[in-house]
Amino acid sequence: MLMSVLFANSSGNVLLERFHSVPGEERLHWRSFLVKLGTDNLNGARDDELFVASHKSVYIVYTVIGDIWVFTVGKDEYDELTLVEVLHAITSSVKDICKKAPSERVFLDKYGKVCLGLDEIFSQGILEHTDKDRVRRLTRLRPLVE
Amino acid sequence: MALIQPAPKKDDDREDDSEYSPFYGIEKGAVLQEARVFNDPQLDARRCAQVITKLLYLINQGETFTKTEATEVFFAVTKLFQSKEVGLRRMVYLIIKEISPTSDEVIIVTSSLMKDMNSKTDLYRANAIRVLCGITDGSLLGQIERYLKQAVVDKNPVVSSAALVSGIHLLQSNPDIVKRWSNEVQEAVQSKASLVQFHALALLHQIRQNDRLAISKLVTSLTRGSVRSPLAQCLLIRYTSQVIKESATNTQTGDRPFYDYLEGCLRHKTEMVIFEAARAITELNGVTSRELTPAITVLQLFLSSSKPVLRFAAVRTLNKVAMGHPLAVANCNIDMESLISDQNRSIATLAITTLLKTGNESSVDRLMKQITNFMSDIADEFKVVVVEAIRSLCLKFPQKYRTLMNFLSSILREEGGFDYKKAIVDSILILIKEIPEAKESGLVHLCEFIEDCEFTYLSTQILHLLGLEGPKTSDPSKYIRYIYNRVILENATVRASAVTALAKFGLTIDALRPRVLILLNRCLYDNDDEVRDRATLYLKTLGEDDSCKQFKESLFEELDVPLANLEASLQSYNASEVPFDLSLVSREIKPQQLAEKKAPSKKTGKDFGSKAANEALPLGTSAPDAYEKLLSSVPEFSSFGKLFKSSAPVELTEAETEYSVNAIKHVYLGHVIFQFNCTNTIAEQLLEKVSVVVDSGDAEEFDEVFSKHIESLPYNVPGQAFVAFRKPEGVCSAGKFCNTLKFRVNEVDPATGEKEDEGYEDEYQLEDLEVTAADYILKVGVSNFRNTWEALDPEFERVDEYGLGVRENLQEAVQAVVTILGMQPCEGTEVVASNARSHTSLLAGKFIGDIQVLVRLSFGIDAQKQVAMKLAVRAEDQSVSDAIHEIIASA
Repeated sequence: MLMSVLFANSSGNVLLERFHSVPGEERLHWRSFLVKLGTDNLNGARDDELFVASHKSVYIVYTVIGDIWVFTVGKDEYDELTLVEVLHAITSSVKDICKKAPSERVFLDKYGKVCLGLDEIFSQGILEHTDKDRVRRLTRLRPLVE
Repeated sequence: MALIQPAPKKDDDREDDSEYSPFYGIEKGAVLQEARVFNDPQLDARRCAQVITKLLYLINQGETFTKTEATEVFFAVTKLFQSKEVGLRRMVYLIIKEISPTSDEVIIVTSSLMKDMNSKTDLYRANAIRVLCGITDGSLLGQIERYLKQAVVDKNPVVSSAALVSGIHLLQSNPDIVKRWSNEVQEAVQSKASLVQFHALALLHQIRQNDRLAISKLVTSLTRGSVRSPLAQCLLIRYTSQVIKESATNTQTGDRPFYDYLEGCLRHKTEMVIFEAARAITELNGVTSRELTPAITVLQLFLSSSKPVLRFAAVRTLNKVAMGHPLAVANCNIDMESLISDQNRSIATLAITTLLKTGNESSVDRLMKQITNFMSDIADEFKVVVVEAIRSLCLKFPQKYRTLMNFLSSILREEGGFDYKKAIVDSILILIKEIPEAKESGLVHLCEFIEDCEFTYLSTQILHLLGLEGPKTSDPSKYIRYIYNRVILENATVRASAVTALAKFGLTIDALRPRVLILLNRCLYDNDDEVRDRATLYLKTLGEDDSCKQFKESLFEELDVPLANLEASLQSYNASEVPFDLSLVSREIKPQQLAEKKAPSKKTGKDFGSKAANEALPLGTSAPDAYEKLLSSVPEFSSFGKLFKSSAPVELTEAETEYSVNAIKHVYLGHVIFQFNCTNTIAEQLLEKVSVVVDSGDAEEFDEVFSKHIESLPYNVPGQAFVAFRKPEGVCSAGKFCNTLKFRVNEVDPATGEKEDEGYEDEYQLEDLEVTAADYILKVGVSNFRNTWEALDPEFERVDEYGLGVRENLQEAVQAVVTILGMQPCEGTEVVASNARSHTSLLAGKFIGDIQVLVRLSFGIDAQKQVAMKLAVRAEDQSVSDAIHEIIASA
């Protein structure tokens, strides 16, 4: 299960979060935990440089693109390696939507599109599509290229 | 720390306007006002999309809508289906899912979505499926099932994936419907689209997870064919290893099925697949070193990968392997050592703990040097893991206690939180207990620690230990100073503990008594009641020689009951004329306590997994207290005396039958009670007068003395029936019991629970239940097997040899004997090194009547896989030693 996908800016403010099967009271802990990971490790990190952590049997793979931190949290079959796939699908689509590694402003400007992209990439904790070109076409309701 | 509220994202004083957030100052009320544009007769698609984006932003910031607000937005959004603008339509699909309308509202949007579901445009179909399946309930699902089945095999992969992923979600809520799709899903597994295959495989496996044969066939066909996506390949590897696990018991000889497939996957081009295969191999039951080698080799290569995720995955896997097969991982030690300085602390910690497991005695010193540098710059939670690993290492190589104890004491002096310090203190306490040579130096380290310890809990724990162990050391007087310093400098709780510790010195060592009395006298003026009371009591006792002996006993005698059990018994005790009887408290240690108090991490803030961990405890593990309470509520059982042991629940029905029954055997000195936990799983029935009729024809020594039925058993509310037997006291009588469930069935209306008819008598055959010798032995380990063994009278030792016939390996033989005896393996001796030709296992237990019994099992296996076993037993009673041999001889 993909438990969470969370975007934050480089000051640790949450911009967008998705949780699946995580009770409300635990989300707060996750936010703090992830943001702390970002504060400890992501300042000065290269774009798309991957970081990994684990907490008990839960895995976290995260990175930074432009001004945006992106975290993926998973357990069971969504282990660190699967999360790399998920994260790659997300970051490549976000960069595609924003035309580059986004600043916070650009990310927020394209917020609606990013939400649509995420809706194509995973659905209630299950990875659905990974290819950024396909995701782009799907968010625009354009048929796939044969 | 995260800012969770939808705070303005930028400071007001930013000069550059372009940096302002489009959501600056966003406010829920205003957005809901704006949402009225959805009702405009002339829809402005762009504006509507903007408002939806704002709604999404609010939701994604954790904002919630009241039911009325959500309903209003939902109804307004449904109007947007009129717009032909595709961008807006896509947003509409998303926002409907996010608002998740209630079941009575869904109907408004159903027709629009059904229309889209039959649209010629593929993507309308795909989205409509996802939305409908996301918001619909079972009744509507029946109507659209036909379309969903078609969608599963749609030629457009997006439509097919949408249906399959929806199927995976729906399987939780409407399994019956989704299970009917299995033919279509089977077809989709053969799809050329890689993700469709991935989703179809996941769904098919879930549909058929209870059908072993089907899963085995699926795995067989797919491992021969081609699986397109790495994700699907990983699933297949997982399912394959499941099939291997289940089939391993059936195939006693020959090669392991599918091993070649797994090994082939180690050469796959995708890292994800390689790791999955390597993990599957390392987790095989009874994996041999020949099977392990290729997987370990691959993992070793990844240890020096430039990608942190791969290093992490490799070291994590190897860490797990090291628990069962430390020698297999030893080859990777050099690569692992370079990871100690890895920037990623998760990787470094895993590397260290692996090294601590795989290292040999000669490498300990070098390793400790490396770790010392590392400890200063990692977080407490990692340090705790390292400390625990060091503790295990020290128990493994007791000769190295000096180095390891020094290390523990040096980190004890450094900064750290409570959990970390507690882990260190716990480790030192365990080492003092297990390694006699380490005692004195350990006590000195602890004394130094309490001089500057900010944690009351730890100080009192250490003072207690000083009181117990200090007087037995070569120079007890040196501890007095440390203890008395606490009386002067600490808070009341610690002072009280210190007073008690002092008194223990005074009681035990006559030479010190006058000096201790002087110190205790000073405590009489303490400003805390408890401290003064204790000082007064001890002064009085120390002064009076006559009472000294008795008091000494009460001071030094450790309670021989687990505190948790004592607490529970006291809570259930009602003050009456009958005094509380300590001997009636259960001695059985709960499994959680036995689990070596492993890192009781009290990280309240981060303990995300705690719930799952608690839920994962097997049924009955925390049960003794509950059982005692339950049994004491039946007056007929009160004359049976003290409960000796309660078994784990034994299932007497198959899974998913109409009535679910399991049994727990409660053993007393002269009685056995069967507790039948019954559950009625049919909503339309109410069972009454439910009893279990037990035929003890095959259990000659048992006489039924009492039976208690369940008056009424409504749907899904478990109830307990009991049947009690008398048996000869202290004898481990064995026997087989045939059981039949008898009851009266009444049809009821599931909605109201009212009876609909008069009902009729019925019965239901249950599985047989056996009482075996193992039921009379408590699994109670001993902290030092050798000492306990030698303390038992060699006169009562009984030794004999047995042939165990042909066995696959020694592990299997060890497992079989441990299960028959039902005793606690000590010092990790239940694990046999792979391919070992001989092995010794040490078992401990308490025989009924609280008789300590220890067993040494020496196994040997020859080239023909014939296993021979030498069984040596020592017990406090010779008849028990003989009984153990009888158990084995008759097994």
